[in-house]
Amino acid sequence: MVRAVSTPLRIGAVAFVVLTGIFLLAPLVVIVGVSVSESQFISFPPTGFSLRWYEAVLSSDAYLNAAWISIQVALLVTVTSCLVGGAAAIALHRRKLPFSGLLSTLFLSPLVLPTIIYAIGMLMLWSAIFGPVSVLTLWVSHTIITTPYVIRTTLAVLSESNPFLEEAAQTMGASRFQRLRLVVLPQCLPGLAAGTFFAFNISFDEAVLALFLRKPGMTTLPVQIYGQLEFSPDPSVAAVSSIMIGLTVLLIFVIDRMLGLHRFAST
Amino acid sequence: MTDRAENSLLILPGLLLLVLAFFVPIAQMLMLSVSGENGLTLAHFTRFLSDPYYLNVLWRTVRLSAIITLICALIGFPMAYIMAHVSPKLRLWLVIMVILPLMTSVVVRTFGWMVLLSRSGLVPEVLRDLGLVGRNFSLMQTETAIVIGMVQVLLPFMTLSILGVITRIDSRLEEAARTMGCSFLKTLRTVVLPLSVPGIVAGSLLVFTLSASSFVTPNLLGGARIQVLAASIYRSVTQTLDWPFAAAQAVILFLGIIVLLMPYARLSGRSNG
Repeated sequence: MVRAVSTPLRIGAVAFVVLTGIFLLAPLVVIVGVSVSESQFISFPPTGFSLRWYEAVLSSDAYLNAAWISIQVALLVTVTSCLVGGAAAIALHRRKLPFSGLLSTLFLSPLVLPTIIYAIGMLMLWSAIFGPVSVLTLWVSHTIITTPYVIRTTLAVLSESNPFLEEAAQTMGASRFQRLRLVVLPQCLPGLAAGTFFAFNISFDEAVLALFLRKPGMTTLPVQIYGQLEFSPDPSVAAVSSIMIGLTVLLIFVIDRMLGLHRFAST
Repeated sequence: MTDRAENSLLILPGLLLLVLAFFVPIAQMLMLSVSGENGLTLAHFTRFLSDPYYLNVLWRTVRLSAIITLICALIGFPMAYIMAHVSPKLRLWLVIMVILPLMTSVVVRTFGWMVLLSRSGLVPEVLRDLGLVGRNFSLMQTETAIVIGMVQVLLPFMTLSILGVITRIDSRLEEAARTMGCSFLKTLRTVVLPLSVPGIVAGSLLVFTLSASSFVTPNLLGGARIQVLAASIYRSVTQTLDWPFAAAQAVILFLGIIVLLMPYARLSGRSNG
């Protein structure tokens, strides 16, 4: 209960939130602004209004190829991390395996280790064993960093689920597989769904692994944007970036509608 | 099939993947950092630690990360407190406001700052119009630009970890303090702040770790002259192609972070029982 907070403090709080909001959202708003500008150059506030930079993106092979690779990798990663992470979360939740505490820590450790350290290890190992990197390299390494998110969201919903349902199913004669499919899986579903969306988002936006594990002809969208920014940014970069922002907004909206953001905001 | 077999079967694919594609690569990197032409060597480490240039890079990384962490905590704590005390509907909007930048690609967000901070960008222009800075003022390619960009990238992590702790504080504690005659600010300082320390510490470690290991934002906003450790690792891998040296630098980053995390792991382990 916030009672008897003096008016100046309230005004201060409102001003603080507004300023923080501007600080957090300004870079995104600016990009969308630049992307619809008529000008040849990157300028904000935008001059005029045109969608020519979006047309430029949609007729650029470099961007379309990069987008295609990003989508492929993100979809593969989403499916594998959902399967692998979901199964692991079910087993971890039961706490019946030996060393289950240690196992949980191990499974979540990719969250703690800075991605750059993992990226360099992966590059070195892959080059030593298989030679040049490929889509498979990105697939595997993105799966490693997204699986902990799936495990965490799934564990979060499982911890609120009723443990006796599975027991009841067993008493009623359900086989192991039936129990998993008809009882445990539906219980996991909201968590799995949320984890899946996060996995897609992380893989699609990820730049560090993608920068280390790239080769000519295999660049993801963030790497393509990074390359443009280092050399010659023009408003078409802003158009691609705006499309990516739009996708994120859509994902947040879907997660909130389906599951409620508040459940995962502080996990 | 027993329960044990079922659970093992469920966990096995993940465990295999984790070992083969996560722990083995890290082991490979550790090995490479001490490998020389004839057997084991610490040459890559001594090269790093005896070169003033690299020591300067290391010091800059630590210094900037500390500044970034401090600013994130100073903004993140009041932000989280306000988020915990507004109506659920407003809170949802604030959560979206914090999560939207968090879920946007770091490349995209940094691009936004490049537009805002460049010589003809909005921020220098406003500062010039206010007469605060000279005609040729530019923020790009400065440490200030790196700090601004990184704080925006990492503030959501800090805010969310503090929010997780603050929402669990019993609101009656605050009410009790107020009833006993504490002013609002004194309640904040003597009740809420001490109870939020776990969240602030966890958030700070996360932000420090992430900022010490990031190179995308520092590279784009700071340019090639202002190198940080992670940017130097990236350069060793992609430009000078000196992989053992890159591995050694990564190990130095790794050890620094472990030293940082160790006391925290022990502390939280103790408080958990």
